Amino acid sequence: MSANPSPIQPIEFKGRMILVSILKLQPAEPAVLQEALEARMQEAPDLMRDMPVVVDMDAMAGTSAQDLLSVLETVRQHGLKLIGLLHSEASAPLADRTGLPLIVLGPRAGSEVPLRPAPPPAAESTPETPAEPAPAAPAPHTPSLVVNQPVRSGQQVYARGGDLIITGAVSAGAEVLADGHIHVYGPLRGKALAGVRGLESARIFCRRLDAELVSIAGHYRIAEDILDSERGDNRLITLSGETIKISEI
Amino acid sequence: MSRIVVITSGKGGVGKTTTSAAIATGLAQEGHKTAVVDFDVGLRNLDLIMGCERRVVYDFVNVINGDANLRQALIKDKRTENLYILPASQTRDKDALTQEGVQAVLDELSKEFDYIICDSPAGIERGALMAAYFADEAIVVTNPEVSSVRDSDRMLGILSSKTRRAEQGEDPLPAHLLITRYSADRVEKGEMLSVEDVQEILSIGMLGVIPESQAVLNASNAGMPVVLDKESDAGQAYRDAVARFLGEERPHRFITTQKKGIFGRLFRG
Ligand SMILES: Nc1ncnc2c1ncn2[C@@H]1O[C@H](COP(=O)(O)OP(=O)(O)OP(=O)(O)O)[C@@H](O)[C@H]1O
Ligand SMILES: [Mg+2]
Repeated sequence: MSANPSPIQPIEFKGRMILVSILKLQPAEPAVLQEALEARMQEAPDLMRDMPVVVDMDAMAGTSAQDLLSVLETVRQHGLKLIGLLHSEASAPLADRTGLPLIVLGPRAGSEVPLRPAPPPAAESTPETPAEPAPAAPAPHTPSLVVNQPVRSGQQVYARGGDLIITGAVSAGAEVLADGHIHVYGPLRGKALAGVRGLESARIFCRRLDAELVSIAGHYRIAEDILDSERGDNRLITLSGETIKISEI
Repeated sequence: MSRIVVITSGKGGVGKTTTSAAIATGLAQEGHKTAVVDFDVGLRNLDLIMGCERRVVYDFVNVINGDANLRQALIKDKRTENLYILPASQTRDKDALTQEGVQAVLDELSKEFDYIICDSPAGIERGALMAAYFADEAIVVTNPEVSSVRDSDRMLGILSSKTRRAEQGEDPLPAHLLITRYSADRVEKGEMLSVEDVQEILSIGMLGVIPESQAVLNASNAGMPVVLDKESDAGQAYRDAVARFLGEERPHRFITTQKKGIFGRLFRG
C-alpha cells in the first residue's frame, strides 16, 4: 500500500459498449413460441447462456399479458439475461410486473439489411429468422465466418462465437462484429467490434485502417480519437489494459 | 433472352431518369427492342424527358390494376425505332405497385423485349426496392460527392441482399457504376471526388462518366433524350456507356480538364 494514495473516486461512469441481442417475438401460439425458443437454445446452449437480451414485443399487441409473461419466464429459465423490454404497446404494461426497464431505441440505419447468408450457417445476426434445423452434434470448435463480398453501408455482420474474416472492404456506415478476432483484407472504413462478449485478447487486423470506430471487448475509440498517424496500411488493433492500441503489423 | 436492368442510386436527383432515357434510347438505336418503365409513381418524369407526356393514356398502375392491358399502356417512341415507354401514374399512391403486379408486367414485357430498363425512384424504400427486385443487372448512378457515393454503397448492399436473385441464392446481380454530373474542373479544385476516389470506395466496374453538361438541360427541356444530341459531350458519353454495356471496350472521355492551349496558358498569366 502506498503511503500517499491518490484520492480514489468512489464511483466512475465509463463509456463502454456491451453487446445486447434483441429477441423479437412474432405472434404465435404460446406453445409454439416456447418450442421455438427451446429449439433455438438447444443449438448453442453455451453461447446463449448469460447472453444479455432485450425483448422486442412490437408485433405482439393483442397477445395476453399472461402469455407474454410466461414466454419471458422461459427465456429466463434458459439462462438468458433479460435486461429490458423494447418500448411498445404490448411491453409497456409489463414493465412494472417484470421490473424490467422499457428501452427506446433511436432509429437505426443498420440491421434492416441482412447479408445474404454467407456459406457457414453459423452466421446468424438476426434472432427473428426462423430457426434452421439444429445441427446433429455441436462442432468441436466454432468455425470462422468468412464473408466474400464487401460489407456495404447499412449492413451488419456478426460472427457469433468465433472470428470474422472479410475478404473485401467494410464501407463507412457498415458494422462488423465478432466474438473473436476480426480480419479485414480490404480497407476498414466502417465500425469494427471484436471480442464483443468480453474477450479482451481479441484483435482487429486490417489491410487499411480508416475506421469510424474500433472496439475490443467493449472498449472503443471513435474516428475522432484515431490519429492520422495511426490510420494507414496494415494495422493491428489490440486492447492493452483499458486502452485501444493501434500499431503497424 | 430478355434482360431487366434497374437504374438506381439511393440519393435523389443524381440523374437516374436522364440515364434511363439515354440508355434505353441508345440500346434501341443499336437495334435492341427496348422498353423503359417509370417506377416513380406519383412523380412521373420519364415521359417528360422522353417527350411523350402528351400521349399518355394509361399507365403502369392501370395495367397492374387491370384497367388496361400492356399494349394499350405502352407508348411507342416517335423518334427511335424499337423503343417503348411505360409511364408511371402521377396520381396514385406508391403502394399501388404490388410485387405480384410488377412481376406480371415484367414477365409480359420479357416475352417481347430484349431489354427492360427500370427507372427507379430515389430512396431505399419500397418503390426503389420494387424497381430493383426483379432485375438481372443494375446501373448505379452516382454523383461525385460523398453523400451520393454513400447512398450508392448502401444501394449496392441492398441489391446484394434484397433482390429476387439474392433471395433465391443466385449470384449477386452484376452492378455497373455510372458517374454523372462530373466536372473535371471541380475535381481539380478539390470540390468533388475524382473518378478514382469513387471507384475505390464502390469497387464495381465502371460503365461511364457523364460530364456535367448544359446539353442535358437543353435536351430535357426539348423532351429529347440527350443521347440523341450527337454533338454534345454528355450525349457522346452516354453513347460510350451504351457501347460498354453491350460489351465493347471504349476509353473513358471527359474525365480530365480541357487541355489549355498555349494561348490559354499565356493569357492566364
Ligand atoms: N450530366 C448532367 N449535367 C447537367 N445536369 C444534369 C445531368 N444529369 C442530370 N442533370 C439534371 O439533374 C436533375 C435531376 O436529373 P434526373 O431527373 O435525371 O435525376 P433522378 O435521379 O431521376 O431524380 P429523382 O431521384 O428525383 O428521380 C435534372 O434537372 C437534370 O436535368
Ligand atoms: Mg427520376
